Amino acid sequence: MIRMNRREALQRTALMMGYAVSASALAGIMKGCKAAPELTYQPVFFTEDQARIVAEVAEIFIPKTDTPGAKEAGVPGFIDQILRECYDKEDQDRFLTGLTDFDAEARKNFGDSFVYLEPDKQLQHLKAVHDPAIEAAKKGNGDDKPFILMAKELTMLGFFTSEPGATQVLQYSPVPGAFKGCEPLAEVGKTWAT
Amino acid sequence: MNLNLDAQQQNTFDAIVVGTGISGGWAAKELTEKGLKTLVLERGRMVNHPDYPTATMDPWQFPNGDRPTQEDLRQQGVQNRTGYTIRPSTKHWFVNDLENPYTEKEGKRFDWMRGYHVGGRSIMWGRQSYRWSPMDFEANAKDGIAIDWPLRYKEIEPWYDYVEQFAGISGQSEGLAQLPDSKFLPPMELNCVEQELQKSLKSKFNRALTIGRVAHVTQALAHSPQRGMCQYRNLCSRGCPYGGYFSSNSSTLPAAAKTGNMTLRANSIVYELVYDEQKGKATGVKVLDAETGEQVEFFAKVIFLCASTMGSTFIMMNTVNSRFPNGFGNDSDQLGRNIMDHHLGVGAGGDYDGFADRYYSGRRANGIYIPRFQNMGKDKRDYLRGFGYQGGASREGWWRGVSELAVGADLKDLVTTPGIWTVGIGGFGEVLPDESNRVTVNKDKKDKYGLPTLTFDTELKENELKMRKDMASEAAEMLEAAGVKNVKTFDGTTGLGLGIHEMGTARMGKDPKTSVLNKFNQVHASKNVFVTDGSFMTSSACQNPSLTYMAFTARAANYAVEELKKGNL
Repeated sequence: MIRMNRREALQRTALMMGYAVSASALAGIMKGCKAAPELTYQPVFFTEDQARIVAEVAEIFIPKTDTPGAKEAGVPGFIDQILRECYDKEDQDRFLTGLTDFDAEARKNFGDSFVYLEPDKQLQHLKAVHDPAIEAAKKGNGDDKPFILMAKELTMLGFFTSEPGATQVLQYSPVPGAFKGCEPLAEVGKTWAT
Repeated sequence: MNLNLDAQQQNTFDAIVVGTGISGGWAAKELTEKGLKTLVLERGRMVNHPDYPTATMDPWQFPNGDRPTQEDLRQQGVQNRTGYTIRPSTKHWFVNDLENPYTEKEGKRFDWMRGYHVGGRSIMWGRQSYRWSPMDFEANAKDGIAIDWPLRYKEIEPWYDYVEQFAGISGQSEGLAQLPDSKFLPPMELNCVEQELQKSLKSKFNRALTIGRVAHVTQALAHSPQRGMCQYRNLCSRGCPYGGYFSSNSSTLPAAAKTGNMTLRANSIVYELVYDEQKGKATGVKVLDAETGEQVEFFAKVIFLCASTMGSTFIMMNTVNSRFPNGFGNDSDQLGRNIMDHHLGVGAGGDYDGFADRYYSGRRANGIYIPRFQNMGKDKRDYLRGFGYQGGASREGWWRGVSELAVGADLKDLVTTPGIWTVGIGGFGEVLPDESNRVTVNKDKKDKYGLPTLTFDTELKENELKMRKDMASEAAEMLEAAGVKNVKTFDGTTGLGLGIHEMGTARMGKDPKTSVLNKFNQVHASKNVFVTDGSFMTSSACQNPSLTYMAFTARAANYAVEELKKGNL
């Protein structure tokens, strides 16, 4: 009975806030683990569960610090759209299969879906998948980027072409007006966004 | 009867210019300024300076990080063979390949990159502007290749002076025999690493490296108040609302409009010339209205074909009558042959240690140029002609973080500092004219308008393939000598077309038996038709050709008006 009331209460809150809580997210909350992260957009390409994992992965790659992170810059929605519109079926499938494997590994090694793990465990799992992929890529292992590197690349693309990424983390000058070819870096400042 | 006469009168002008790209814009300007009532026909839509839809958009205003969608690639897959043109920011300047198909001979690629709109490719061109040298006009005769040019550098030199001062060419005088200096506006700066490479090339190879010569305004142009200074945004191919670089839209068409003598008609596809067998000359053009499907004829004493190399060649090949059974002006059977381009996508690149405390500001829409040094003086290679290099140095941006181990706040920090300097140079090689590199009309495949299309049969030949090996190895050698690390060569051999410098299909020459045009760009067999786009080229040299098209067009227009006054046309 208590569980029912709690479920109802949660769903009511969710409705009031204007978005739906998926069954699995609800399950996570029910289990008393870390709360399922809120989705900040309505996924089209991903299921809601997939979208939550991708959003968490993106925020780990580019977290909010004293400047906005991936979520605040709209990166999760960016990834959903670019995968849907710009990638062919083969690349889409590689991403989704990799995403499933990534979460299955999390369950196997940490006993729960990636989205419910504590931040240190999430980072540990992500690094365990990411670092060997980087090393393999350095050795030039093929063109087919694995899920984790696709996710990183898309996170960075979405973030650094976003307004906060381009203007707050990097620097952006829409109309420079002049070109100076060899200036002290200290005077120029940060990496140019474009 | 009277109605028809009236209609014919309304549709009659002193001159007709077909096309509004670099050549068409110049023809329009020169003819109207000399007082000719001129009809300028453009097959594509109207584009008025400074209305370029994406020109001032920020990166975050484009979907998908400005990457093409699968649907974009379905519609413009051929146009995307460049790898850089079909993006939300620029794709509207390139044709829909489904509506504008062409055919490639099996196993032979020809990349035909084009846009149908007022301004043509003068909106998206690379803006690199180099004179030809005396050597280039003499090369065919000296090597016994194809036919001789019917003129020499001295004849075109004053026309280079003339067009440069109007277009505005930024660059550095170097006093090189193989690359004559232009009338320059102030040069753009080299960056730190490019300066080092310049010193190394001079001291170790006695070769030149100069800042790219570009049609950018680096000092105010008094004659064109609508053109502002280059703002160093490097968004040129979207169209420049500042008029910072030369385009028909920003430069020649406004000049032509100012005379009051220009009638500009967009959406007007010229598909055939009207030929009067009794007069023995072309009297007009047949137009298909791209919007209404209506067919209209226009008449004039002088016709300038400036519809792009393949565009003008198509119009001529598609004009068949009892005088010209093989296509207009094609007594020589050279029309559609000798397709040339510049072969590229080959060179070397690497990393430069040092200058970690130096960076640049502003986005220079330009690179470096290493003029040709092969087969000149005592230098002899196992191939004919030569190549120049274009390229540049820059520091790695945020993208480098993708392949680093860092994640999280560390990754964010990492990419706020620019990465190492990298430097790359790629060759632009001369392509020899070869009759077998050819385009023909394909009546079996029709475009969106029901017009016949083109079939290409082209390939790189032995001379180009030999040259490419040298283009890669010389690049690597020069970079290594300058202390560049991890030097890697590249050679993405494709075929012809990606230089987007297609030319040569209606070459000029002294003899009507072996050429289509004379030295004033007149069709030998119908002197009131001038062809001044890239199709007139008798050889390709290795320099970017647009400046040469400007000079020849201005010269031809001047000549046409003189001849008209003399009653010779």
